[in-house]
Amino acid sequence: MTNLQERYLHAVRWALPAAKADDIVAELRDILTSRQEDREEELGRPLTSEETSAILKEFGHPLIVAGRYRPQQWLIGPDVFPFYFFVLRIVVLISVGIQIAIAAARMVFGDGRPLQIIGQSWGGLWMSLIISMGVVTIVFAVMERAGFPGDHIRRWTPEQLPDVRDKRKSVWESAFELAAGIIFLLWWAGIVYLPIPTGGAAFRMEAAPIFTQLYWPIFALVAVRLVDNLIEWVRPRWTLVRSILTAGTTIAGLALLALIYRAGQWATIVSAGMPADKVVQLSQAVNLSLKIAIVVTGVVWTWQAVVVLWRLLLRGRQRDA
Amino acid sequence: MPTEDDLFEKLRIELRRGSLILAVLGALRVERYGYTLRQSLEDAGLPIEESALYPLLRRLETQGLLTSEWREEAKRNKRFYRLSPDGEAILAQLLGEWNAISDSILRLTEGNEQ
Repeated sequence: MTNLQERYLHAVRWALPAAKADDIVAELRDILTSRQEDREEELGRPLTSEETSAILKEFGHPLIVAGRYRPQQWLIGPDVFPFYFFVLRIVVLISVGIQIAIAAARMVFGDGRPLQIIGQSWGGLWMSLIISMGVVTIVFAVMERAGFPGDHIRRWTPEQLPDVRDKRKSVWESAFELAAGIIFLLWWAGIVYLPIPTGGAAFRMEAAPIFTQLYWPIFALVAVRLVDNLIEWVRPRWTLVRSILTAGTTIAGLALLALIYRAGQWATIVSAGMPADKVVQLSQAVNLSLKIAIVVTGVVWTWQAVVVLWRLLLRGRQRDA
Repeated sequence: MPTEDDLFEKLRIELRRGSLILAVLGALRVERYGYTLRQSLEDAGLPIEESALYPLLRRLETQGLLTSEWREEAKRNKRFYRLSPDGEAILAQLLGEWNAISDSILRLTEGNEQ
């Protein structure tokens, strides 16, 4: 037995499953020795170091030889790959959408120089892509080992597929909506600061107390709408869940809007040198604009809710028929 | 771009991959150890890479199609493999399938030649 052969077997052993390593190495040692002896018999002399090396090279790279003894030959196999790729694409698009939305918001509100924002966003984009791709890959590698998608494929039926006539939102539109919702929540929670202009040199505009009173209901409403958007995108056939979420958020949204409307005042103008009569006039103008905006929002939300609920109702009936 | 020879080689390897299991099971109706099994396959015109053959033997044994034991021969310990009773039943089924596929291919290709 040559030193080279022992080094080769040691390298193979290092990558073998520990429980079987001794047994497999013993068998490989016998096979390699048999090959060496056959070759020596053919040549009528002991093998040179180069000839032994050629036998080992032909046998295969130690990692490949050892790897073939492992029960798991791949991280994500061909059955899991289509699901992995589908989810990866969604996660990547959401990551890109969030980064673009944050960068756009920072530019619009003047939070730094444009080139600085682009540079920071570019770095943030790569970091979020690497992390999200890594997390998705680890999750699917675990699912591969757990036997996915065996059950999923058995339970799947063609009826779960979305209707052809459904006008589904484009992936970018959905990603943008999700990103906008997430940014709103971050801003509302005070985690992200967006320098929204709320006054000039002579006055300052503050939100009315009603928004402080309704802080958590508004937060919860936007969070549930986010979940609804996500389901609409990735699970359009979950009509029952979507019906409940859409109806619930619509009713809650209209109720919140009614409470806000009843407050009567939505913005307060605080003078910083502005004459009192001008402050009153400005306050009336701002609050009138907000009143119109609240009424228009209420009408639009009501109309959208009727359309969405009507569609869901129709689809449910067609499915039952 | 792959040449015609590369493509043929790739398709040939794919075609052979499944049939090698059948060949290994067939050859192990007689007890053999790894090295002589590989030689017998090569002599029969079915050479197989060693780095693929020995893990395949282990897998077939784990699946209950082969049995093995360490025994001394020519002053060295060797691991001998042979077909298990389950392996014999599976081999018979696979041979039936192999013959059916072969007949189908022949019928299809003969039909195309006319």
